[in-house]
Amino acid sequence: MFVYLGRRLNLLFITLLILCIASYTLAFLFPGDPLTNLSGNPTTSDDQTQQLRMMYALDNGYIAGFWQYLKLTLSGEWGQSLTSQNPIFSDICQFLPASLELSLYAMAVSLLIGIPLGIVAGLNHRRYTDMGILSVSLIGFSMPVFWLALLLILVFALQWGGLPMSGRVSLIYDIPHQTGFMLVDILRADIANKQQVLMDALHHLFLPTLALSIVTSSLVIRLTRRSVINVMGSDYIKAAYAKGLSRTQVFWHHGMKNALLPIMPQLAMQFTVLLTNAMIVEVIFSWPGIGEWMIQAIYQRDFPAIRGGMLAVSALVVIVTISVDLLIRMIYPLSKKQLHAQV
Amino acid sequence: MPLLDIKNLTLEIDTPLGWVKALDKINLSIDSREVRALVGESGSGKSLVVKSIVGALSDRWKVTADRMNWKGQDLLSMSDSQRRSITRSEISVVLQNPATSLDPSATLREQIEESIADSQLSKGWFWQRRQQRREISAQQLHKVGIRDHDLCLGSYPHEVAEDISQKFALAMALVSNPKLLIADNPTMGMEPTTKVQVLRLLAKLNKTRELSILFVSHDLLAISAMADTMTVLYCGQTVESGKMGQLKRRPLHPYTKALLDSAPSFRRDLPPKAALSSLDGTIPTLQHLPIGCRLGPRCPRAQKECVKMPDVRRIHDHHYACHFPLHRDKI
Repeated sequence: MFVYLGRRLNLLFITLLILCIASYTLAFLFPGDPLTNLSGNPTTSDDQTQQLRMMYALDNGYIAGFWQYLKLTLSGEWGQSLTSQNPIFSDICQFLPASLELSLYAMAVSLLIGIPLGIVAGLNHRRYTDMGILSVSLIGFSMPVFWLALLLILVFALQWGGLPMSGRVSLIYDIPHQTGFMLVDILRADIANKQQVLMDALHHLFLPTLALSIVTSSLVIRLTRRSVINVMGSDYIKAAYAKGLSRTQVFWHHGMKNALLPIMPQLAMQFTVLLTNAMIVEVIFSWPGIGEWMIQAIYQRDFPAIRGGMLAVSALVVIVTISVDLLIRMIYPLSKKQLHAQV
Repeated sequence: MPLLDIKNLTLEIDTPLGWVKALDKINLSIDSREVRALVGESGSGKSLVVKSIVGALSDRWKVTADRMNWKGQDLLSMSDSQRRSITRSEISVVLQNPATSLDPSATLREQIEESIADSQLSKGWFWQRRQQRREISAQQLHKVGIRDHDLCLGSYPHEVAEDISQKFALAMALVSNPKLLIADNPTMGMEPTTKVQVLRLLAKLNKTRELSILFVSHDLLAISAMADTMTVLYCGQTVESGKMGQLKRRPLHPYTKALLDSAPSFRRDLPPKAALSSLDGTIPTLQHLPIGCRLGPRCPRAQKECVKMPDVRRIHDHHYACHFPLHRDKI
């Protein structure tokens, strides 16, 4: 176990290092002055330039420069945004939780919908229930998320009018920023009519979460269904029937665990897909998350912000993937069989 | 009355070429305290017979039988829960490939304790019952020859060796004190000493606990040492069945003779370095089953009539299905 933990942490460390190298290189590959790209400070005076060059150790070669960059990155000095002149790190800390919140809820919803439906479909393999669920999931799977989001806005926000179209919470409420997770912030905030604000935030959450979770839950359905079918056809399920256990006993004691555990990594992988989709959805719903923020940065050629956003999002994805890996390793005995990576 | 009585068991499998009869009118009966051997080469449907008895088949396959009685009750027409309670308490089975028939994500302890019925426990409180379950499973493991029961019970199936999991499967089958044990190749892949040990255990249980055994194997030596009666299968059809000694001494079906001849240890007259006898060809696949007697294309005595399925004929306890049995004169 500790060997495995070491290997995974090693992988995490190396991947993050490579990400840092990539983001440092970007500063030189982007058009414009590398110093401006790194610091985000379009300096005018020679004095200031000199000071910044010292700070980023630009004159001491790439290696020393990178070392300096690494130190600055770890201490939270990610430079400033070119357009707003805000520190990038604090911007990310503000916007990333919004995206995370949206993705987490969407993930939870898709697992809650996808796994039971997938199990039902898998248990009724080749019956009408299975075919029905499968075709619905195929439809959900093949709809592009941006189009779906627009469609949802059209139906629920414009025609029906019951749900808000954009933002995280109505503008009339002022929620102080604490954790960045809106629902948590509301619960912790010291405001009147908390209930009402909470309902409003949930209303705002509804459409983006729906748009995201339709695609993901159809993927989850397909994964779960396939795994359930495989497991229910296996020898040990037959052996369990031969022991004289009932269908429900067989499924809950032997089927469920074996069907769900092996697909956990694949399910976790959906989170990264989800995060990508979340960025698109954020733009459409004007959700103040990292996706919106990064796309704004791209529009405005705010290179320091692009660099920082890329680093933050990819680091998040890597950390999530590796922690899920470790988690599965701890709870799924069969995975201990393979210490080393498999082809 | 026989313990298990099966008449004309037919199993149909849905293939792209339509429904295929993987088992065609199998007859099998097991008396109490009897050890019956079920013999046939690989692919003759032995395991399918086992699985249809315990109901561990895919839902999409059709099982029909004129009669499939357990102590006079029809297994096929009874309700699921009735059948389950019979398979739970009276019939136990060791499936082929025990390593894959164990749940990979549960420890062996969980799996064997699941097989212990509540009725076997005498004590009241749940911690006492748990303790008792542990004791029973440890005892059972000792019986089949696993000494370090704690190590074995704490392991997951992929962590134990093939022969240990084979013994474990046997222990798990025996733990519920069944009336009938169906053992599908229980000694496969074991080393000779453990094999002898396991066979001796089965023989002892047969004598002391009046356990009936359906012994499925192609190990003719083990079978002839243990079994009282034998049923020979070929390609999903019962070819011949009868008392072990009689069958060995004087087989009536050409296939039985070929099968016995193919085992060198049964032939005292075999000169050194002589060619071993075998039937030409191989067992047909499910897609290319011949009509009538399925041995037809390979049978040395086949004639035109063999395209019709021969009726089962009987001389005392000895049943055979052949148009031209060996005790008739040269054709």
